[in-house]
Amino acid sequence: MLRYLLSSAASHFRAGRSLFLLTVLGVALGVASVLSIQIINRNAVAAFEGSMQAVSGDADLTVLGRNPTLPESIYPRLLAHEGVAAAWPLYRVTVAVAGYEQLFLDVIGLDFFAPVQVPFQGGDADLEGALGEPGWAAFTPVLAKQMGWSVGDSVRVFSGSDAVWLRVGALVDFQQISPVASPKMVVMDIAQAQHLLGRRGQVQQFDVVVRDDWPVERVRDELEWQLGAGVQVVTPEQRRRQTEGLLAAFRLNLTALSLISLFVGLFLVYSSTQASLVRRRSEFGLLRSLGATRGQVFGLIAIEVAILGSLGVMLGVPLGYWGAETNIAVVSTALTNLYLLDEISALELPASLFGLAALIGVGGALAGAAIPALDMSRRDPRSLLAAFTLHERISSLANRLALGGAALLAATGAWYFTTGHTWQHAGFVLGFSLLVTLPLLTPVVVRTATGWVRVRSFGPGFGLRNLGARLQITAFAVAALGVAVSMLVGITMLVGSFRDTLEVWIANTVQADIYVSPASWRGRGDEAFLDVELVAALARHPGVRALDRLRGFVGHTQGDDRITLAGIDMGLPGGETRFELLQGDVSAAYEAVHRGGGVLVGETLARKQNLWTGDQVVVYTAAGPTSFPIAGVYYDYNAQGGAVFMDLSTMDRHWGPSDINSVAVYLEPGIDADGVIDQLRAELPLAALEMRSNRRLRQEAMEIFDQTFAITRLLQLIGLLIAVCGITLMLLVLGREQLPELALYRSIGATRRQIFGLFVGKGLGMGLMGLTMGAVGGTALAMVLIFVINRAYFGWTIQVHWPWVALAEQGLTILAATVIASLYPAAKASRTAAAELRREDV
Amino acid sequence: MSAAAVFGDDTPVLSFDRVSMSYETSGSGSREALREVSMSVRQGGKIAVVGRSGSGKSTMLHLAAGIDVPTAGRVAIDGRDLRLMGERERTLLRRDRVGLIFQFFHLLPHLSLRENVIVPALIAGDRAGQAEARAVELLEQVDLADRMRDPVQNLSGGEMQRVAICRALLRRPRLLLADEPTGNLDDANGRRVMDLLFDLVAAEATTLLFVTHSREFATLADEVWELHSGQLAT
Repeated sequence: MLRYLLSSAASHFRAGRSLFLLTVLGVALGVASVLSIQIINRNAVAAFEGSMQAVSGDADLTVLGRNPTLPESIYPRLLAHEGVAAAWPLYRVTVAVAGYEQLFLDVIGLDFFAPVQVPFQGGDADLEGALGEPGWAAFTPVLAKQMGWSVGDSVRVFSGSDAVWLRVGALVDFQQISPVASPKMVVMDIAQAQHLLGRRGQVQQFDVVVRDDWPVERVRDELEWQLGAGVQVVTPEQRRRQTEGLLAAFRLNLTALSLISLFVGLFLVYSSTQASLVRRRSEFGLLRSLGATRGQVFGLIAIEVAILGSLGVMLGVPLGYWGAETNIAVVSTALTNLYLLDEISALELPASLFGLAALIGVGGALAGAAIPALDMSRRDPRSLLAAFTLHERISSLANRLALGGAALLAATGAWYFTTGHTWQHAGFVLGFSLLVTLPLLTPVVVRTATGWVRVRSFGPGFGLRNLGARLQITAFAVAALGVAVSMLVGITMLVGSFRDTLEVWIANTVQADIYVSPASWRGRGDEAFLDVELVAALARHPGVRALDRLRGFVGHTQGDDRITLAGIDMGLPGGETRFELLQGDVSAAYEAVHRGGGVLVGETLARKQNLWTGDQVVVYTAAGPTSFPIAGVYYDYNAQGGAVFMDLSTMDRHWGPSDINSVAVYLEPGIDADGVIDQLRAELPLAALEMRSNRRLRQEAMEIFDQTFAITRLLQLIGLLIAVCGITLMLLVLGREQLPELALYRSIGATRRQIFGLFVGKGLGMGLMGLTMGAVGGTALAMVLIFVINRAYFGWTIQVHWPWVALAEQGLTILAATVIASLYPAAKASRTAAAELRREDV
Repeated sequence: MSAAAVFGDDTPVLSFDRVSMSYETSGSGSREALREVSMSVRQGGKIAVVGRSGSGKSTMLHLAAGIDVPTAGRVAIDGRDLRLMGERERTLLRRDRVGLIFQFFHLLPHLSLRENVIVPALIAGDRAGQAEARAVELLEQVDLADRMRDPVQNLSGGEMQRVAICRALLRRPRLLLADEPTGNLDDANGRRVMDLLFDLVAAEATTLLFVTHSREFATLADEVWELHSGQLAT
């Protein structure tokens, strides 16, 4: 049987090379789509883990503040715990390298006497220099090489608005500990780091090594209890899970999108297997009459499909890696912008991902082929040897399939509106049922649409009519395209609507003329402050009417949701325009926040914790969990779990006074913002400030937005590519199956050009039907994405806008792509000779 | 050389002059399907071609339709040498001057009777109105006008062949080639189809060359040619 299998598979592949290659490509693209997203997802967390491992090494526990910093005073209390074998503080601050637009370093202040393995290149560093020489810092060799820095060089950096010189004192190769650790980590003595770059007496974390004879969990619980509510004591695993949790929505959404491409790819496998099996039915009939069992026939088909799937995996893995590598920069920037995470600097491809690729490629191919393979293996030899066609079957099943689809959609809708809406993942169930319903409706839609066509010439109408007669093939091509177009339209509408909503929101709320912040505030910038004198100088500058000061940092709510906490001048005259309230009276809300110690809560947090105007939000302050009355809920597009705004005085009262992080400058009417920025740059040449005009800030916000969704374009493209491959594949199948029919046309006078036109018309017809179904499905999917999935995961209010231009462009591109996809099959079909018409055909 | 009947004007509708046709076989050799066949058919003639399986009957029809070109000799339709024409020219000549009827009808299952009949007109780009009127006229003649909107799957074999005859005659071809037109029908239906075919051919003054296994139907023709191992014997 094995020998038969090999020779049969080889001759089958040889006979249908194009079909075979397209099917392999379909599987490969599906695998590539899922794999590239999984590589990106894993590496996003791995980048954080790598840097954590490089810094914290073998620490069993990490002590973190629920506020930006921790007082060093808790250090002795840590060491006093009997279960603690060692502990050391870490001071971390982001600095911006002078002269480079977007180069931020993660400076880690370390106690070099702590039992930390710092992988200095060439052995231990000169500790005397590290402690005594001002600005001594160890850089990674990767960064040093990239920037052309050597030991002894000086590097000017900005911490907040202060300029500081660091000296390359040694090279430290964190990649030795973890290959995916950020190369932008810099190590220096903790006291120096605090003195030069930030605040004395404050640290970001303590790392703790637990004594061997003490259970880690016990030490963790006891330390947390002893150190009070403002402190979190976590294991490395908990930190990793926190990061995963932070990225969960982002990762889940990308994974779901990538699975759609796989789903489209499965259609290709199904259809090509179906076509191949129909063609080879007499071969199976013969095998069955010669004594082959049903299982043997099924096994034969399954092994052939598995070979095909394996080839798809072999092609899909490098493609997926290439896809991830190509897109890693934009995803990394998005993650840094949205979640303030470490950027992804290197890609790992763990063995588990190879396993995943094999599973989805081979498993997916087998799943796609299962129904036709089972159908073929179940038939008796007599029916296999008889001339029959499966096209009639799907035609007779069309109504039942459509009813099944409608029932599925109705059932899912009913479930969602009654109980499902309370479950966070319900949106995916809705989206999935939509994408399953679409193919189920396709046979009826194709049959009805083509049935309406009146044949008046041997042209597109004739071709379209013909499509209805080959439902088994055309319905799958149209369904595959419909699903891919649904994804395209759904995401385009979501992104377009979101973009327009954001533009309107920014236009309404970003009202100041100039925004000033330290360059390093863009990174992990809680500690990036503006110098008081500098703020005063800004206020004094001619033409400046008012300053709106902002102090912001990452804090925690009760329940440990990470949120952005911000303090601003709520009393700023006319400042009401800074927020668009979803709930609450504007004047009353402002008054309550300005004078009553209340807060404004962003919609994201409000939805997540079900907190609305009049409720209390509990936030960790320096004194522990503190309740703040919610004066209003505003439209918010924060990705980090939400935000709480309060008056600066309230913030100072609860977290202690501090410098501010940024200011918004309001100019006198008629003053040119760009002119003032130029003047300020000339007057403050040494200040590392980012000064953006209102126009520039809006532009940058939209650039970040576009970058965030850039990865979706890759997924859309892959989905579409698979679907277009599907059109080519199906037309090739049609060309084969219709060979006698084409020969008949040729024998009664159709020219090659006419056959070519007929096939291009068919491709266009399938494209149009797929596009129409995709437009309907995509609109429904967009509604699910906007009103269900987005609300459940991000809590944003997105107004529906129709991005007509983008949709029209995509529609034309798809039609052009389907025409291009038709050219090869059309050329092949046009070469059909009239002599191909055999007696028993048609 | 075999004789051919002479009807009407001097230029034969179809002529073969020392035509041979060989096919490459899967081994290294070739098989000769026709050997130095010469004949001519004048306007309005009805010729039956008989012979055993593999005698070259279908090859002769393919060559007559310009579907194949001979490996040697000359095939001409209305005096035009097919060998000198390109593939496209032969296609256009076939479209305009030849009608084909097949043993297995070769109707398109997704089209109605009327639509099946007008396919040659659609391919030729004829005016739809005129083609439809002509289709109705032909379907009336074969007693199928009342079912012209029906799908062809609902027809019996004899009815299908009647539709195929209408399709072949739609564009008033000079030459009608029929390959075993009754080969897939029972005797009664075969007789009815042949009667209709002869009536229509007479009415349209079309030349008919048909291949048959039936001696009975062959006797209906003006002349019977017998093919034996690729050679023509009167």
